[in-house]
Amino acid sequence: MDFVNQLQRKFIDYSSSLHREGIVDDQFTQLRKLEDENSPHFVMEVASLFFEDCEKLINNMAIALEQKQGVDFKQIDECIHQLKGSSSSIGAMRVKNACIAFRSFSGAQNREGCLRCLQQLSHEYSLLKNKLQTLFRVSVASRCLYVCLVIFCRENEPAEPFPDVLVFQLEKQIVAAGGSIPRVH
Amino acid sequence: MAPTSASGDQPSDKDNWDNGRLARRQQLLTEIVLRNKLTTLVFDGDTMCRVLEQVLLRSYGVQTQGVDNGRDAIALIAFGAKFNLIIIKKILPIMNGLEADSLNGSGCKILGVTACSGESERQAFLAIGVDVFIEKPLDPEHLVPILRELDG
Repeated sequence: MDFVNQLQRKFIDYSSSLHREGIVDDQFTQLRKLEDENSPHFVMEVASLFFEDCEKLINNMAIALEQKQGVDFKQIDECIHQLKGSSSSIGAMRVKNACIAFRSFSGAQNREGCLRCLQQLSHEYSLLKNKLQTLFRVSVASRCLYVCLVIFCRENEPAEPFPDVLVFQLEKQIVAAGGSIPRVH
Repeated sequence: MAPTSASGDQPSDKDNWDNGRLARRQQLLTEIVLRNKLTTLVFDGDTMCRVLEQVLLRSYGVQTQGVDNGRDAIALIAFGAKFNLIIIKKILPIMNGLEADSLNGSGCKILGVTACSGESERQAFLAIGVDVFIEKPLDPEHLVPILRELDG
């Protein structure tokens, strides 16, 4: 059972590090609390929506900043506005902060400043995407493991009963890390 | 979705990154139980934000309807759909003066949410009669008192 405990420990530590590094904030924690057995992949789905939106907006801004005949700063402002809204809704703190900084340069119609900010924004977005995808992979792995264990328990009792206490511990760890217990029929 | 029970009442040592506020938020998320059935219209063009706002409301047992454009929002209201709460992120062209008043008269609250709250934007929202104006994200801290008030 040691590697199961290790996996859970990894998940909790990784999750904590995301908060410590400011990549996600309270709002993200809140979203995970809204997840339950009826919508076990809710946060992952919302994150996918966010990634799509974010990439589209970053692309649009890059194109707008390339325009030789004159940059449409109003369009850039609108993109930033939208991105700030969605990043704060999902709890992507560093992306949100990058938007705030970006806004002051687009407001001042400073093309060089905007280009730098866009680069920073892309960087923060890539970081967020990598970290969240890792988090989700580990979360899914833990859930699969849990399901396997429960099935193993059932099929092997009473010949080799698996200690209930270990299944219970795993449940507790999944919940403590902000996940929900999968339903096993 | 029934309000989820918090994963333990205290954050464990491992997740002490923001102890006080986190504990208060957990409390807010689990505490409220509404006596009446409330309905909300959520108008937000951004799919992700709209989905999140609706999920949050539903976790409190509020019935929600989402629209992603102004025309649908206005149509719903104009054709007499009754809502206790309207959440808007943009000023609907028709919602000024008279319209907002008639809505307010029927005990309906209007909540404006926006990504960036500059003073001019705030004034524009307040001028058309929104009751509350907040910056995204929509969170329990702002939402719960409003729901409580609507519940009576």
